[in-house]
Amino acid sequence: MKTKTILMATTIAAIGGTAFAEDYVIGVMSAQSGYLAPYDGPAYAGFKFCIDEMNAAGGLNGTTPVKLIVKDTRSDIALGVQVVQEMLDDGAQFIVSSADADPTIAAAQITAADMIPTMTFAGTAPVLTQVGPHVFGSYPADNQQATVLAGYARDQGFERVWLVKSPDSAYTLGGPEYFGEAFSALGGTVVGESNFSLNQPDFSAIVTTIQNADPAPDVIVTWAWEPDFPAFIRALRGAGLDTQVMGGDALDTPTVRGLGDVVAGVAHSSGGFPDEGSAYADFVDRFTAATGTAPDNNYYVNGCDIAHMIEQAVAAAGTTDPAAVSEAMAGIENGQGIMSNFTFAETDRMPLRDVVVVTITADGQKRFAKRETADPAILPQP
Amino acid sequence: MDVLLQQLINALSLGGIYAMLALGLAIVFSIVRLINFAHGEIMTFGGYGIFLSMAFGLPPLAALTVGIGAALVMALSMERVAFRAMRGADVVSLLITSFAVSEILKVLFQNGISARPVPISFPSSWSGAYQIGGMTIGVAPTVSILVTLISLATLTLVLRRTATGMAMRAAAEDFEMLRMLGVKADRVVAVSFAISGLLAGVAAVIWTAQRGSVDPLMGFFPVLKAFIATVLGGLGSLGGAVQGGFVVGALEVLTQAFLPDSLAPYRDAIVLSAVIAVLLVRPDGLSPTKTGARS
Repeated sequence: MKTKTILMATTIAAIGGTAFAEDYVIGVMSAQSGYLAPYDGPAYAGFKFCIDEMNAAGGLNGTTPVKLIVKDTRSDIALGVQVVQEMLDDGAQFIVSSADADPTIAAAQITAADMIPTMTFAGTAPVLTQVGPHVFGSYPADNQQATVLAGYARDQGFERVWLVKSPDSAYTLGGPEYFGEAFSALGGTVVGESNFSLNQPDFSAIVTTIQNADPAPDVIVTWAWEPDFPAFIRALRGAGLDTQVMGGDALDTPTVRGLGDVVAGVAHSSGGFPDEGSAYADFVDRFTAATGTAPDNNYYVNGCDIAHMIEQAVAAAGTTDPAAVSEAMAGIENGQGIMSNFTFAETDRMPLRDVVVVTITADGQKRFAKRETADPAILPQP
Repeated sequence: MDVLLQQLINALSLGGIYAMLALGLAIVFSIVRLINFAHGEIMTFGGYGIFLSMAFGLPPLAALTVGIGAALVMALSMERVAFRAMRGADVVSLLITSFAVSEILKVLFQNGISARPVPISFPSSWSGAYQIGGMTIGVAPTVSILVTLISLATLTLVLRRTATGMAMRAAAEDFEMLRMLGVKADRVVAVSFAISGLLAGVAAVIWTAQRGSVDPLMGFFPVLKAFIATVLGGLGSLGGAVQGGFVVGALEVLTQAFLPDSLAPYRDAIVLSAVIAVLLVRPDGLSPTKTGARS
């Protein structure tokens, strides 16, 4: 009897051990070209770096090795949908989607049937989680960024904002609108708006309109990304307008900082700043030593934090079952991140995280300006 | 009134770039019946020429010269490597070849240089502005207009006053007759690609100076507009291409400036509808060639 009990216990332990030692398969949509490449590339590099570190220590929580399936989407939403289906067919239990709301929403339609948890690399439009309870953001959402940035603008004494937005994406449309809402709630005024198209050839008409606006704005806010933001800021400065410009986290790239004098003084929101002695600074050192590349924006460390979010969700779930992991992720409160801590509990699964405001210096560096969590009292709702 | 004048200057500046690109497309089409969709990559290559020159420490003006030279070399290489072997092929085969060349070059740019936009930082004095009356006019649009006008005037002189130019105009009218008269076809075609490359190079210089970055898709969108301009002007018509470029540029700027916000998302559709409306009235374009193909 004793022998039987020992045998049974050993068998159960072996089965349990085997089950837990199975690879946890994560599918990654990563645009290696096109408009998402400046964001997906660094985010994937940071994500893989931290997954490799975890695998070297035995996997997630030291027990569950991770296997990555990585597919290039070329920033094409239709191709993105196709690669997500392929990754699910190959056994993916978690999908990390491209760094924008639109491809994430498309991916989430495919993953909804099996409730496969789907987390965007850095999509920040808060509407993206409305597809279903299996969809998660990772970076501070646009409404959080806009609220903190609006507070910073008011702190600097700005009173009249001009919004430059594009209806072509949830990000480029939503960010300025959230800013306008928060800015008005703080006593500022929206004096005008302009619309642009993604990849718009020329911004001179918009600049001329702003130039002749009455009353003139004292700050211009846009969530434009590359190559539209460089074109806009050059057209603006080229017309002799030195009005303060502010933007979203998409300005956190070496390309924007490399534009020289025209971007000196531009302020933008982002997710973190590598203060001396911080866990973030330590990540920068480790990543640089291991890869020879110094992380030059926050998408690297946010990619690493996604690995930590998955690890903590799997630990909380006690299983790798997709629905259980989704549920556990949604319940995380004050999870430990490197860029900043994160809370999904009592949110719409866009994590509540610190927002950092930085300014760009004339020599292309980032200067810390402010760190704050968005005030729920004035947080615009999606 | 000042606002309208300022927007007209913007329209001239953008239209000028489209006109140069459209003219480059039209010159090649008029001689070899090739709608070169890889023309945008010639422009992009010029942009990368500027970027790399500045990265290696060349002063901005020298870098711009290298950019124009790079576009010229790319256009000639394209003709020699990809299109000479296809001489005499039908229009569809040539079109597909040009798509293939375009895709190959884009992939090479993405993997060989960067999939991400790379910044070009010109001196701050290039971003200045000056006042005329109550108007503030940027240095960059002014230079853009002047460079466009000088380029177009020079090209007109070359086409009208030189033997090579006359041979090219004759080739556009009847290429086979020109060959029977003993003019070397390879030379005429190569010169047409060279001029097309030079125009794309000048457009790349203005474009990068105004936009501040280069990416693998940089040339795609303006050349798409330039293609619309060549159709609007009349396929193969050199004067029509220039007219079409300015019309498309003006439509884009003026709709951007004066359309109400509620209609702004439909701006491109409105511009293209206007082009279709013109083609319904004038199916051969604004200024068709005598032997031109119907748009």
